[in-house]
This record gives sequence, structure tokens and C-alpha cells, in this order.
Amino acid sequence: MITFKEGNLRIPKWNRRVFVVAGGTTAYRKYFPEYKLEELVMLAFKNLLEDNDLKMDPLEVKGLINYAAYGEFADHFQDQLLCEAKVHDYLGLDPLYNMGIKTGGATGGSAVLNAAMAVASGYANVALAAGWERMDEVDTRTGNFYISTAACKDFETRLGRIYSSYYAPMANRFAWAFNVSEITRAKIAVKNHLYAYYSPYSQQPGKYTVEDVLNSPMSAYPLRFLECCAMSVGAAAVLICDEETAFKLTDRPCELFICGGTHTLRVADRRHMEVPLLPHETPDMYKDLYSKEGARYPGFESFLASRFAAWLVYRMAGIQNPLEDLDLVELHDAFTISDLQTYGDIGLRPYGQEQDYIESGDAYYINPNTGKPGKCPSNLSGGLIGTMHAVGATGIFQCAECLWQLQQKYDKFHGDPKIWKKWGKEKPADWQSLQIPEKSRQALWVSHAGVGSHVTVGILRKSW
Amino acid sequence: MANQKPLQKKKRPPKKKFQMGKKAQEKKETPIKLIGQVTKIRQTDPATVIEWPRSITHIHTYGKLSPFFEGLRKGELLDTHCPNERCPENRLWIPPRAHCPDCHTEMVWKTLPNPVIGRIYTFTEVVYAGTGVELSTPYWQVDVEIPGLATIPKSYLLYGKPYIGMRVKAEFRTKNPTNTVLDYYWVPYEGSL
Repeated sequence: MITFKEGNLRIPKWNRRVFVVAGGTTAYRKYFPEYKLEELVMLAFKNLLEDNDLKMDPLEVKGLINYAAYGEFADHFQDQLLCEAKVHDYLGLDPLYNMGIKTGGATGGSAVLNAAMAVASGYANVALAAGWERMDEVDTRTGNFYISTAACKDFETRLGRIYSSYYAPMANRFAWAFNVSEITRAKIAVKNHLYAYYSPYSQQPGKYTVEDVLNSPMSAYPLRFLECCAMSVGAAAVLICDEETAFKLTDRPCELFICGGTHTLRVADRRHMEVPLLPHETPDMYKDLYSKEGARYPGFESFLASRFAAWLVYRMAGIQNPLEDLDLVELHDAFTISDLQTYGDIGLRPYGQEQDYIESGDAYYINPNTGKPGKCPSNLSGGLIGTMHAVGATGIFQCAECLWQLQQKYDKFHGDPKIWKKWGKEKPADWQSLQIPEKSRQALWVSHAGVGSHVTVGILRKSW
Repeated sequence: MANQKPLQKKKRPPKKKFQMGKKAQEKKETPIKLIGQVTKIRQTDPATVIEWPRSITHIHTYGKLSPFFEGLRKGELLDTHCPNERCPENRLWIPPRAHCPDCHTEMVWKTLPNPVIGRIYTFTEVVYAGTGVELSTPYWQVDVEIPGLATIPKSYLLYGKPYIGMRVKAEFRTKNPTNTVLDYYWVPYEGSL
């Protein structure tokens, strides 16, 4: 749809306020034979119930749940249809209703949106959103083939059979259109691998240099292996409540706003349209950007689904200027290029100037140019490149990380040597805290599928 | 209907007591055989991990888009367009669609006259590909702008080195076709338009 009618642009509004109070996760690994899938989800669920300082006994909290939304990307990977039923039974939640949510890489975000809808509508007072992926039942190349079936099977899958090859053409067009050096992309990889170094849950931590990234093996030109996300096994969960229950359970709940957008599965089919403007943008900003011959919006450079989700959620949550109003973002850095593209979509920079979010230092925990805190740090969790992409869990894991940051619990969930030990690791001697300041109020996360086929943008707002 | 015989009540045969047939009786005495393969244990530490090999064939229809793939076998690139004059979108579609996404009218087919010349919009070199890749790696995957199209279809460049704006000509794999989208590809074009 290129032109909109009034109803299409209605801003979503909950029937009652919705809050997130607790999160849980496992560590993420390439290969995780120690546990079956449902056992991993149980570990994330127990983490949620037992370790979030909730003001009720874990089993009493469980007794409040009356709905569950489960995220799983691909039945191919699990090799088990109705995995939701196995997990739900294993968590001891029968006969409460649950729904399986499947929107590719945005599955986690969509599961949170679904659980929020249940609470907002009154179906549930307390809803569980949990997600998982087990990507280790097949070898890496077969895993990449499975993922590539999330491209059009008739017209695209056979041309790549690996998802990096659907993002790499975007990287080349983006670099050409907006004059971006590959060093900027490499800096994103360096940053997110480094932040993963401080996380006990991370699969691909590392202290790399820009040269290391650019010298790593090529997947699809210009995307190198160190610019690509992990293929993971693991699970995550968050607990979503109405206002009354939220304050019964914790003194530190975060209010939740979340919206979604979609666009074609094939980038080929994206037709030019006018840029939907965010609250802080004006038409003048883009009057010259798409006048070049062959230029299109969103073209291969941007994601309409991300822009549309942000367009809705900023209005839903009253965000006027994302860079000023947000204290943390967790973006879907499946590839360095998709991270870079998203900076424009969600308005951290105007379209065409995305690279400045990195080069200015705003995206860092500590701005490398000034030595002071970055204005709006990105992916302190380590993101998909550094920490995890157990696809159905990802958007839920990001939500939990945003929650813990706003609750001032980064150290509790990342710095405790017992957590490192629990996952068979040793806390690094040079571990450092990436806790955002106490005054921080709002965090945003993006959950993103395909080449931008489904995207949710969620916002958590400190409510105490 | 006139020739139809009137319905007759079938006479039910008298009820027989169920008796196990000779074969079944023999089977009962023979234990059930395992006809599958013995599952291989891959590892036992830290948990038992087994292998479960399988081979499957999917039966997939091209549906209303079948003419596109038939066209490729004949060395022609077919597109669809919306014939509704009131529809805001009258450009051509490759990949084709049977229905217009804007007004839902059934689309009509058109053959692009050869030679089909396009320009590379963007590209990548696929170096590491997933299982089942059908082109020898590394290869150039290209997205090509074709005049008159609403879309920028993905394909591959048979030889040469692509760059954004490079002119290319469509060619076809009419001998030993794969009956897939791989049956058309692009080659560098330096002739006049």
C-alpha cells in the first residue's frame, strides 16, 4: 500500500495501560546439547519469576498468569510442530490459553505485542511472552538455507540461499547513495561484539578492531562474517501486566507502548512513496534526497516497516524527538547494514545521514570522541551480532534488556559472577558495567523480520 | 435422471463372527520388525544427541504464474500489468502477480520484446551460500532495473563485474532449463539502445 486512507493511519491506543515487570533469559550458544528446548524455556521462565525482585512468591506470580504468547521463528529448526503445546505443558501452564506467534525475525516483538493486546483488551491481567529458537539441529549451511526460505521461494531463495546475500545488495546501494565508508559498518560490529563481551549470555563476544572486521571472511560482498548475527539456541521471557498488578508485583514497572509495520517480502517489489514523517521531521528535509534518477523511498536503502512502526509508536507514546527522548535503543543488528539503515527509519538521524549516529559517538556507551556518555547508546546488550539471535527469543530478550537497564539492574543481571558460572563461563577480570544513568526514562527496541517484512518498535517508560 | 434405477434396499449379509485371517494369525505370532534405520548416536556427553537423517521432495505449484516460467523456457521474459484504467498502478510487474495489489483486478500478461536491456540497481557477490546452492560460488547476484517495471527483480550476472548503473542484457537457459527463476540471467551489454 503506497497511499493511505484515514483508517489505515489510526494511532493504536490500549484500552488500559500496559506494563512490563520482569524478564528472564538463558545464555545463547551455537550448540546447546545440555538442554532440550522446553528445558531452556523453563530456565528463562524461572529466571523471570525468581530473579526479578518481585514482591510475591514465584509460584504466586505464576498463579496470576492467564494467557501466554509464544514466539518461534521456524518449525524447520525446531523440527516440531506445536512446540508451543510442549513448552506450555512443560512450564505447567495448562489449560490457560496460549498462542504461537510467527513473524520471522520480528517474532519476539510480535509476541510482546500480542501479550500486550491481551492485557490491554482485558483478556488477561498478567500475560507471559516467551520465545525460543533451537538452530543447532542442522549444520550451519543448512541453517542458512532454512533462513533463506524466509525470502520469496519462487523468485529469491534460489538466488542466494543465505540471508546475508539479501542484505548485501542493500549495503552496496546504501554506500553508493549516501556515500558511506565500510569502516562505519565495521565500527558497528566492533561496538556490538565489545558490548557482548560484558554479557554472560553472549555467544559472539570479542574485542575486535575495525581491521579485524574488514579482514574477516566474506559472506556476501560487502558483508563479512563479523558483521553478521549469531545463529543461536536459547530462550527469553517477559511478564506483561495491567497497572494494578504491575505495582503489586514491583516498585519499578515500565509502561509499554508497541506498534508494528510491514512491507513486501521481496525488496524487488518496493514501490516509491513519500516518506512518512516522524514528529520531529519536516518535508523539506527530504525534498532533494529522492530526486536523483532511480532514487526511490524506501528503495534498497531503508525499511518502510520500521518507519511505519516508529511513526505509530512515537505518536502512541508521545515521543517528540527520539534522539532527545530516548536513553537507550536495542536495534535488530542482524547485519551491520540493517542496523545502520534503521537509524534513519526510527529517526535517530534523518535519512541519508544515518552514519552520523555512529561517527558522532552518540551510539556508544562512552562516546569515543568526547569520553563522555553517548547521547543515546545502542545495543548495550551486545545485540544480535555480539550476543544472540535465537530468532523467536530475540525481540523478547531485547525487551528484557531494556527493562533491566531502566530498572538499574544491568549489573545484577550481567555482573554477578554466579550468572557467568551458571552458564559455564568466567566473568572477565576487565568486566565493566554498561548501566545507563539513573535519570534515564525511556528505552526503545526494534524487532525486525525478513528484509523488513515485519517490524515492531516497542518503547518502555520508567513508571516510578 | 429418467434412466436412474429406483433405490433398492441392500440386503445385509448375515453377521459373521469376526475371525482372524490366516495371514493375520501368522503375523500375530511373528514379532513386529524394525524397518527403519538404527539411529546413530552423535555424542553422549553432556547429553545424548542422536542423528535423524531424512530426504524429502516438496510438490510446488507456480499457480497462475506458470506462464512466466514457461516463457523462460522459450527465451522470453513475461510480465503482468493491471488492465484497470482507473487503477493508479499501470506499470509492469516482474516478479509477476496474478492480481493487482492495489485494486485486486486480474492482471494480464505481456512479453517484453528481446533484447531486454536493464541497468544494475545494486548487486552482491555471494561467496558463502547455504546448502543446496545451485550456482557455483562465488557468483554475482544482481538487482536489475528494467524500463517500465514497477519492480527491481533479483537475478544473477553470468560473467563480468557489476557496478551500479551498468547496462545488462537478459539471456535465457533454454537448453536443460532448471524450470526455476535461474532460467534467466544477465550479461554485460555494450550495444546501442
